[in-house]
Amino acid sequence: MHTVPSICAYCGVGCGVGLRVEGGRVIGVEPQAGHPVSQGQLCAKGWSNAYAVDPVGRITTPLVREHGELRPAGWDEALTRVAEALRTSLETYGPLGVGVISCARASNEDNYAAQKFARAVLGTHNIDHCARICHSPSVAGLSRTLGSGAMTNSIADLDEAELILVIGADVTENHAMIGARMLRAQARGARLVVIDPRKTRLARLADMHLQLRLGSNIALLNGLVQIILDNGWENRAFLAKRCEDIEPLSRHLAGITPEQTSRETGVPVEQLIKLARLYSQSKAAFIAYGMGITQFQSGTNNVIAVSNLALVCGQVGRPGTGINPLRGQNNVQGACDMGCLPDVFPGYQKVADASVRAKFADAWGCAMPETPGMTSLGMTKAAAAGQFGCLMILGEDPVQTDPDRNQVAHALAQLDCLVVIEMHLTETAKLADVILPAASFAEKDGTFSNCERRVQRIRRALPPPGQARCDWQILGELARRLGHTGFEWQSAEAVFDEMASLSPIFSAMSYAALDTHHGLQWPCDAEHPQGSPILHQHSFPLGRARLLPVSCVAPAECPDADYPFWFTTHRLHFHYGCGSMTRKSPLLERETPAGLLFIHPADAVRLGLAQHQRVRVSSRRGELITRLELSDDLAPGTLAMPYHFREAPCNLLTNDAQDPITRMPELKACAVALEAVDEQAKEEGAHARRP
Amino acid sequence: MIDSTPRPMILEDAYADGEDARHFQLRLVDPQATDLAAQPGQFFMLAVPGHGEAPFTYVRAPDAEGRFSALVRRTGQLTEALFELQIGSVLGYRGPLGRGWPHDLTGRHVLVIAGGCGLAPLAGLIDAARDNAARLQVIYGARHPGAQVLARERARWRLDLDYLETCDVASPGERSGSPVAHLDELLGQNIPDAVLCCGPEPLMLASAEHCLKRGVPAVHIWLSLERRMHCGAGLCGHCHIGASYACVDGPTYNYEQYLALTRAAGLYSTAQAIRHC
Amino acid sequence: MLAAHKLDSPERLRAHLAQGREVQEMRADGQGGWHWQNLAAGDGLPFEPPPRPPLTSAKPLFFAEREALFRFDGGTFYGCLPEIEPKVLFGVSACDLRALAYQDQFFAQDEHYQRRRRQTLLVGYDCGHSCAGGFCTAVGGSPLVNQTQADLILRRNGHGGWTLLVASQAGAEAIAALALPQAPEDWTAERDADLAQVRAEQGAQAEITAGIAAIQAASVEPERWEALGLRCLGCSGCTSVCPTCSCYAPLEQREEGGALLHERVWDSCLYTGFQKEASSHNPAATAGQRVQRFWYHKFGTAFAERFGAYGCVGCGRCDVVCPGSIGAHGVMTRISRP
Repeated sequence: MHTVPSICAYCGVGCGVGLRVEGGRVIGVEPQAGHPVSQGQLCAKGWSNAYAVDPVGRITTPLVREHGELRPAGWDEALTRVAEALRTSLETYGPLGVGVISCARASNEDNYAAQKFARAVLGTHNIDHCARICHSPSVAGLSRTLGSGAMTNSIADLDEAELILVIGADVTENHAMIGARMLRAQARGARLVVIDPRKTRLARLADMHLQLRLGSNIALLNGLVQIILDNGWENRAFLAKRCEDIEPLSRHLAGITPEQTSRETGVPVEQLIKLARLYSQSKAAFIAYGMGITQFQSGTNNVIAVSNLALVCGQVGRPGTGINPLRGQNNVQGACDMGCLPDVFPGYQKVADASVRAKFADAWGCAMPETPGMTSLGMTKAAAAGQFGCLMILGEDPVQTDPDRNQVAHALAQLDCLVVIEMHLTETAKLADVILPAASFAEKDGTFSNCERRVQRIRRALPPPGQARCDWQILGELARRLGHTGFEWQSAEAVFDEMASLSPIFSAMSYAALDTHHGLQWPCDAEHPQGSPILHQHSFPLGRARLLPVSCVAPAECPDADYPFWFTTHRLHFHYGCGSMTRKSPLLERETPAGLLFIHPADAVRLGLAQHQRVRVSSRRGELITRLELSDDLAPGTLAMPYHFREAPCNLLTNDAQDPITRMPELKACAVALEAVDEQAKEEGAHARRP
Repeated sequence: MIDSTPRPMILEDAYADGEDARHFQLRLVDPQATDLAAQPGQFFMLAVPGHGEAPFTYVRAPDAEGRFSALVRRTGQLTEALFELQIGSVLGYRGPLGRGWPHDLTGRHVLVIAGGCGLAPLAGLIDAARDNAARLQVIYGARHPGAQVLARERARWRLDLDYLETCDVASPGERSGSPVAHLDELLGQNIPDAVLCCGPEPLMLASAEHCLKRGVPAVHIWLSLERRMHCGAGLCGHCHIGASYACVDGPTYNYEQYLALTRAAGLYSTAQAIRHC
Repeated sequence: MLAAHKLDSPERLRAHLAQGREVQEMRADGQGGWHWQNLAAGDGLPFEPPPRPPLTSAKPLFFAEREALFRFDGGTFYGCLPEIEPKVLFGVSACDLRALAYQDQFFAQDEHYQRRRRQTLLVGYDCGHSCAGGFCTAVGGSPLVNQTQADLILRRNGHGGWTLLVASQAGAEAIAALALPQAPEDWTAERDADLAQVRAEQGAQAEITAGIAAIQAASVEPERWEALGLRCLGCSGCTSVCPTCSCYAPLEQREEGGALLHERVWDSCLYTGFQKEASSHNPAATAGQRVQRFWYHKFGTAFAERFGAYGCVGCGRCDVVCPGSIGAHGVMTRISRP
């Protein structure tokens, strides 16, 4: 029995775990005592990491499709087939007809290798990952207002905040160790305020809960800013010194009354005024927000509205303050940092910048394409239109987790070749032409970056099962077969060192330095060798921050006579993503409620529906059958469903109306209808309205 | 030491016996003396290989050849898998486990109250008590006629027992409502010496309270409690009722024990809890 | 005690006990944690007990967090019992030994547990100071190893050296060949002084005492438990680190080669699904009900009578791992308030 320190493979909090290894397998997990983020605690998912990496049920050999069926194959056969498919697609469609969707769950080293493979080997910027459907609006919005899209402060800043404002984030369930720290902060005297259409656990425990109407974020945030300006509660010194002219924003908001805001949001006037006063007058106020801000067609503008509130009050750039997007996956920050986005190289160096392209061309020994790349939704749309040949997907399951899953499955079916690098046979993997077996986080060395920009070491606790390999090794071997050099790394550390040498914000990082400091937060360079817990202390990347006027737009689809209910999606504490890891734990799987559609008891009474009643939910895009779970977490008139379960895939219902800037789909709001069905009706009733 | 390894048994036959329920005929490959001594109300752990183990009561206890029967309702993935199995399949068995109904019913006036599938643990007892009890009365409640189980046994009892049926949703002209609503009519002026009750927990508690009011002492009212069970040895912890484990101390408790356990433990019901959520 | 010896070095004792035995000791991992781990042959690092009990107690060394119970090959069921070599646990604190004694009773009929237990020599370690967060003296325990709960007891003496107390026949036999000298007579007085010192450091712990009384009187209202339940994330941390928690769940796996394996894995009574039946009826449907039952299990009179001790040894691990701040002190404070 021995214990290997590592980082939890679930959410973006980045908690320290010890993997307890016995008899050649990880049999248990314990929290890393004294870890700066998790402080010796874990959530239910964290404690169950061992099941997720269990060799039972894993894909352990390459699989290739033959006569419509997947069969085991050797590495040589599988990689030859992938290399040929890529070559053919490049000839047929050109570099825009191939691409890679990388993985927010894989290591930085894997992600670095993925974008290098796309750019250097395939000659395309068609590289993306799932940040598209969680926090691309954060990156876009905060880039516009501040110049950088990450959490401005650290999780530890919660300990210094006087007010903690949580917007559209179910923190105790989805970022539990941050939620726990918020509750400890509250116990030592900080005020805790939650803005959420759902009465979450944190909302129930908070000092104040503003239960706003679904999709009215901007109306609420604009209203708060206007109350602050009206009362002269803004931070004039900060505005004068750190921001561009506030005039356009104040003109835009002029005339909005608290009563009007209250009507638009459903939040009482007293709560609006109280929060405006608290937030503006606190010595240090920390904003945390989640997908209740980003997953709207107005996602980018929602983020800008959050940013406006913080800037007007000067709650940025000091300990205990900040604008802090809570990221979903263990390494979604890292996948962005590594340049698994169509418009940036590692370290957010812009593809549009010719000198940056020249630098990477020089370092990698091949020309860098100028043509901009496509997002993952762009790639699937191109595939649906028959303009895409070969797509490689690393450890993501867009069929399950993207909006309007029938469209996604249809698009993937149009590809000449779909290659999936995976641990488990996910819904997406089932459609693949070639599946390559991936090592889990417990089976490799590397780094993950948590949501506060902290790059942390993961350590190999045991060898991968069967023939599974690290993604960077698979991509390196594939590059070699396609005649490219520069992928001959002998260790994960060598990949990291190459990345750090090309990315100024990581230039002072090394595995040795990460080991010593329990991880380091970027930017970490000659000027900040100990990393940067707080950003923007003296200036913004843009110089002065921008206050951009934004207006509330209703969700693209609102309830009407045919589809009378609001419908929103959320996550459960015990599950994660498509469930491919959490559902391997017999204990977490047992937590799955029999009912998966949450409904307010008053709505249930009105419709004569009972707890666990079988129902059909339908939207303009599809329908499914599930069971009801009565819960007063929601306001009457709104239904909610978690997205983890293949048996009741809620993304058959959701809307793919998109944020015009980031193409973020509006997963948080659409309209549905509800009816009781016979007990005998099975889940297989799920289907789409169009093929 | 506890042996947690099942012994093999063969699925010999099964027939539909009520809504979503099947009556399984099983045979132990190597019956032992302890199996033949199984008492009504005791249970066994049935293993469906690959799907786990779950507790079921004997409808008919094992005979010298090891043949016995059990009623199973389809409620989860284990029973789902069991319903799909071919005749002749090998299953696992551990038993008999737990405590059954009280033995000393000879010469007594016995009232049996059953609800839904709760009739199954009482079937063996009814057949034994019809021979030795001074008076045996049975009332069986179900949601609707289609939900009634043990059709063959009930047909037999209907002929020669003081036996009543009631349904929440009854056919026209038939008896309807909860069994509790018919107790006074059934008992008249008499007070039974023993009340044996099995069914949904709210029904058992309502029946117990009613009989208590009618003057039956709590120690003479017996309930068979359903709990999630895995080990059958009082170790895995799932079947707790206060400080007691139903798999070894139960599943049969008299009402006095039940009240003492829950009171001492300060347990409160989910209904009470939800009021405070 | 059977005997008291003067000991020149615990490392020499450890090396002696290592003959024919696997040695397990708590070691630091360099990232702030301590863990029980097997020592390599010839390991001569100094014996340094951690400043507080390691997060994971000695529990998994006996009640494994995951182990096979039986295998099915399609026709027959085969029991799986672990083959255990003799081992010694070197330097177990009094609280963890007390928990082990509790588990010894609970798992008396469990062959998997007892096979490991029978092969293990326990070397206890007397604490001279209270660890941060420890409250052993408030729950009927002591920082001093109970002589019925270990084979040998190590303690630092007042002269900068070590005393070795022999608590069992197995302990006496294990050290016979060392021919250790007799200890000076003052060891009993030194133990009394250590106990007094730890008592003083831990203080009255009035909330613990009052909380126990409230649980035993069943006087805590449902709303108070439900308020605590709102803070329970169902993470399973408390039950994992609690040295007396013992619940487990089955896990069915298909092995390579097709045989079916039935394992048991640690479970937690704080999970919603712990008591949920296939019909979806759940006798403990709310978090408050589950939190209530957890603490009744630790302090309820019926359990205390059955085991002759509380199910809480005062190690304070639950306070450390609970994200909702409802470990022992968090709960007892809240339920003992008027």
